[in-house]
Amino acid sequence: MGKYAFYPGCAAKGASKELYEATVAVAKKLGIDMVELPQFSCCGAGVLEEVKDVLDIAVNARNLAYAEKEGRDIVTVCSTCLLVLRSAKYHLDNDDDLREQVNEILAEADLEYKGTVDVKHFHWVLLEEFGEEGLKEKVKKPLGGLKVYPFYGCHTVRPKDIIGYEPSENPQSLEKIIRALGATPVSGVRRLECCGFHAFWPAPQISMRLTGLNLKDAKESGADCVVTPCPLCHMNLDANQGRALKAIGENFQIPVLHVPQLVGLALGIEPKELGLHRNFVSFNFV
Amino acid sequence: MEKRKVTFRIRRFNPKKDSQPYYQEYEVEVVKGMTILEALQFIKDNIDPTLSFRAFCRSAICGSCSVKINGYPKLACKTQVFGELEVYKTDILTIEPIDNMEVIRDLIVNWDSAIEKMEKMRPYLIPDPEVVPKTLDEECKVYPNELKKFDRFTDCILCTTCYSVCGIVKVDSNYGGPFPLARVYRFAVDPRDALKKERAKIGYTFDMWNCVRCEKCADVCPKHVAPVNGIMKLRGLSIDIGLKNNPGARHVAAFYKSLLESGMLNEVLLPLRTKGIKGVLENLPMGIKMILKGKAHSPIMKPIAEHEGLRKVMKAAMEVE
Ligand code: SF4
Ligand code: SF4
Ligand code: FES
Repeated sequence: MGKYAFYPGCAAKGASKELYEATVAVAKKLGIDMVELPQFSCCGAGVLEEVKDVLDIAVNARNLAYAEKEGRDIVTVCSTCLLVLRSAKYHLDNDDDLREQVNEILAEADLEYKGTVDVKHFHWVLLEEFGEEGLKEKVKKPLGGLKVYPFYGCHTVRPKDIIGYEPSENPQSLEKIIRALGATPVSGVRRLECCGFHAFWPAPQISMRLTGLNLKDAKESGADCVVTPCPLCHMNLDANQGRALKAIGENFQIPVLHVPQLVGLALGIEPKELGLHRNFVSFNFV
Repeated sequence: MEKRKVTFRIRRFNPKKDSQPYYQEYEVEVVKGMTILEALQFIKDNIDPTLSFRAFCRSAICGSCSVKINGYPKLACKTQVFGELEVYKTDILTIEPIDNMEVIRDLIVNWDSAIEKMEKMRPYLIPDPEVVPKTLDEECKVYPNELKKFDRFTDCILCTTCYSVCGIVKVDSNYGGPFPLARVYRFAVDPRDALKKERAKIGYTFDMWNCVRCEKCADVCPKHVAPVNGIMKLRGLSIDIGLKNNPGARHVAAFYKSLLESGMLNEVLLPLRTKGIKGVLENLPMGIKMILKGKAHSPIMKPIAEHEGLRKVMKAAMEVE
């Protein structure tokens, strides 16, 4: 079993508290050695790159350096954090001048970036540690008959040069997890589309339209619920669901779960412990 | 040599004859190493001479052969059939023209809309008389550290693959699109250019803040240009030249401020900081629900451990040339 440093990200620490609760509960149940480091800061969601690229990289080199000190790979539950941290690592590992420059900056905080830890998504860790079969064995309440629409979220798979965990053309990690839990993955044409979250502030109409179309696709594929590994997708698909459907002239409800919530239910964890009551669209699975 | 029977399901459309596009299937015995383009050429030479597609260099240089393979666009000449069969675990490949452009015939699209948009964005060097010598006798040096800023963006071969996948191109007719905006950035940081950072205004006019950072353009680019990174940096330049009074730029400032204050994003103050009172009002119903669901934190946030170190790192990073 690997040793992990839990990087929840701002969403899971704030507006997507239920994701934090579910992740901690699942990790505990599965005995994953995962510790949250109190020094971790916000990754900047890529927005810091718009202030200055070396600022973005230095802030995240600091996060990586704390994980290195503990000898733990970073595991995150936010796809944008995943991309931003991996991207910083990619540039630091491939550009000696940059690494030197950033290490001079980190010296201000008595830190050094060495490049010894990896950055992973939580559901990759589930698959790496247990495999589809191993996960199946842990299931206490198989989600028999449940049709789940896997909504990946952009930064879970793209760009392949930085993420590279599975082919971005046709990822299968979520399908594997859904199957291991005893549920059935349904496939729609928009499972790899963008939810529009990152244009929410400058262009809310565009953002809501994209989310609306994704929800409609999930509904039309006959899904009972959507599952996503990204809290930002979740925010648009769940909390903003009413607004998003209105933007495309539709009106229905479909529950949207975080990956650890779905996993937790199958492991037999109480819905309350998984923060299910915090989801905007309620999900009642018996 | 390894061989496999592959079905190519190709979208056909001749606007002079057909009222609707349709799919036609061709079975081809493919040997290992064969590219999608070679398969298309095989079909044209041996099965159906009417099949139309575009290709010139066959070396991933000219940028003319991009097609959708099972929904994902790639250069036909750079993509091997066996690799695709492996990714999709299949023996059937659907080949279609790329999106966001009008189909001229079968797999050939009309690039004009994309190229015309790029032309309007002045994607060429406007020499700075202070830097570029008047005669050819003198050299105009660009140093490696200067080149590093835009080198990657000069690799673009104008294949329009990124343009074809961009969801914002689809919904916002004014949006510049990935490769054109990346080109604007490329010249904005060229030391020989007269407009320099001012070019960010062009990006602003062409809705660069609408980019959703879906990373599709970076994912599909056969030359690893990652146009989205150019767009992000161009946004940064627009803030540098004072285009600060818009939601995009204020959103950036809000993040920066949050990190300085506590090290974590202050989500509660984000609507106010990004869009002012309007932002608060627009998001009020959602905000109230968030509070009821126990999803909102206090507006005053406790700093992370070693926050002082983060502040020092940020300060030092901002001081770097
Ligand atoms: S940026 Fe890449 S995908 Fe886009 S036109 Fe240029 S080479 Fe093609
Ligand atoms: S990252 Fe931006 S430019 Fe690139 S495809 Fe997505 S929306 Fe378009
Ligand atoms: S034929 Fe020139 S890029 Fe493919």
